[in-house]
Amino acid sequence: MKRNEKRLFAILMTIACLFAIAPTANAMHIMEGYLPPVFCVAWGVICLPFLFFGFKKLSKSVEENRKSITMIAMSGAFIFVISSLKIPSVTGSCSHMTGTGLGAILFGPAAVSVLGLIVLIFQAILLAHGGLSSIGANTFSMAIAGPLVSWLIYKALKNTKVNKKVTIFLAAAIGDLFTYCVTSFQLALAYPSAQSGVAASAVKFLGIFATTQLPLAIIEGILTVIVMIALESYAGSELKAIKYAE
Amino acid sequence: MSNHTHHHRHGFKKHSHDTGGSSIDYLAVTSGIRHWSPEFKVGFSLLLLVFCLFANHPIISVIIMLTAAFITLGLGKIPLGNYYSLLTIPFAFIIMGSLAVAVDFAKGPVGDWNLFLYWGYAYVTKKSLMNMGCLILKIFAAVSSMFIMTLSTPSFELFAVMKKAHCPQLIVELMHMIYRFIFILMSVQRNMRISAESRLGFCDFKTSCYSFGQIAGNLFIVSLKKANAYFDAMEARCYDGTFAFLEDESEKQPKLIVFAVIYFVVLIAIWWLVH
Repeated sequence: MKRNEKRLFAILMTIACLFAIAPTANAMHIMEGYLPPVFCVAWGVICLPFLFFGFKKLSKSVEENRKSITMIAMSGAFIFVISSLKIPSVTGSCSHMTGTGLGAILFGPAAVSVLGLIVLIFQAILLAHGGLSSIGANTFSMAIAGPLVSWLIYKALKNTKVNKKVTIFLAAAIGDLFTYCVTSFQLALAYPSAQSGVAASAVKFLGIFATTQLPLAIIEGILTVIVMIALESYAGSELKAIKYAE
Repeated sequence: MSNHTHHHRHGFKKHSHDTGGSSIDYLAVTSGIRHWSPEFKVGFSLLLLVFCLFANHPIISVIIMLTAAFITLGLGKIPLGNYYSLLTIPFAFIIMGSLAVAVDFAKGPVGDWNLFLYWGYAYVTKKSLMNMGCLILKIFAAVSSMFIMTLSTPSFELFAVMKKAHCPQLIVELMHMIYRFIFILMSVQRNMRISAESRLGFCDFKTSCYSFGQIAGNLFIVSLKKANAYFDAMEARCYDGTFAFLEDESEKQPKLIVFAVIYFVVLIAIWWLVH
C-alpha cells in the first residue's frame, strides 16, 4: 500500500471502530451501582428543589382542572414510549431517542422534571435501564438539565427571526448534547483521573460517549422537527389543550 | 380493565426491545416468591443495594451476586436465559464506563503498561485495572440485588409499597395511570409501525425518519384523545381524585425476616474480616 492508501485505511478503520461501538445507545443512563453512595445522595438532593417546583405546578394544574390528570399521565406515558422506540439510524444499530427535548417543548420543563423522574423509575424497574441508586444523577441530567436547556433555547429563539424548524432542531439537539455533557461530568466527578483530576476525566468520558451521542443528538434534532411539524399540522386543538402555544 | 392490561402485557412482552425478549414485569408476576410480602422484598433488596455500595469490596460484591442469583433463580424460578439476558443490559455502559476509569492519559510513558498515541501516552496501572474489576463486580452485584425486587414484585405492588412509604399521593396516582397508559400506547404504536412498514415506510434512512416522525406525531394525538376518553370513563365510575385498589393480603413471614437478619449479619461479619 502507498502512504496515502495507508492513511485512508487508518481513517476508515477508525470510523469503522467508532460505528462498532455505536449499537450501545442507551448508554447514557448511569447504571445501578456505578456511582459511590455520596454521589447518589448528592445528586438526588440537587434535584429536589426542581422536583418540588414541578410537583407544585402539576398539583396546581390538577386542582384547577381535574381532567388534566389523565392528560399529564398520558404525557408521561408518551415520553416513556417515545424514549423506548428504536429510531432509524444509519448504522443499523439500535438506538433510542431521549424524548426530553420534545417533552420540554411540549409540556414545559416543570412538568417534565416530575414526569421524567417517573419515566426513569419505570425504565429502571421495567427495562433495567439506569437504576434506583443512580436515579438522582439520571434525573438531574435527563429530566432537569437537558429539558431546561432545550426549553430555554426554544423560548429564546421562538420569537426571533430564526426559522422555526431550526429553532426546534437546535433546542432538541443542544438539549441532548447538554444531557450528555452533564452525564460525563457526573461520571468524572465520581471517578476523577488519578493524576490530572476531574477535568481530565471529564474529557475522557466526553470522548468515549461522543461516539454514540453526537450522531444521536443530530438524529434526535431531526426527528423532533418532524414530530413537531406533524403535530402542528394535525393536532392544533390538542396542542392548545396542553397550552403549548403559550 | 385488568383483562385489558393483561392483553397488552403480552404485547409488551413481544415488543420489548433490549430485554432479551421478555419483560421484567411479566416475569415478576410468574415469580416463585411472588407471595412474599412486597414490603419485605423492597426493603431487603434496597438494603442489599445500599450495603453493596457502601461496602465496595469485590468479595462482598461476588457474595451478593451469588446470593441474589440464588434468590431470583433458585427460589423465584426465573428462567436462567431471561436472567442472563437481563444481566447483559448494562454491558455497553460497563465497557465504556469502566474503560474510562482504567485508562488514563499522560505526556510521558508512565504506568505499568502504556501505548504511544502521537500526542501522548495512554496508560493503565495495576491499581486502575483492579479498580475497574471491582467496579464491574459492584455494578453486577447492584443490578442483581435490584433484580430480587423487580423480578418478583409486579409494578402495582411496588406502587402500593410507595404509597405506604408516604410517597406523595399525586405521584403514586400518576404512576398507576402512566403504567397502564404505557401498554395502551405501545400497542397503538405497534399497529402504526406495522402499517407503515407494510407501505415500505422504512425502506431507507430518509423515509424512516419521516415515518418515525409521523408515527410519533399521530401517537401524541391518539394519546390525548384517549386521555379524554379515559377521564370520562373514570368519571362515570365515580372517580373523585383517588384510586382505590384492593391488595393481596401477603402472609406474615417472621421466618423470612429472621433469615434476612442472619444474612446481613453474616455479610457484615465477612466485610469486617476482609476489609
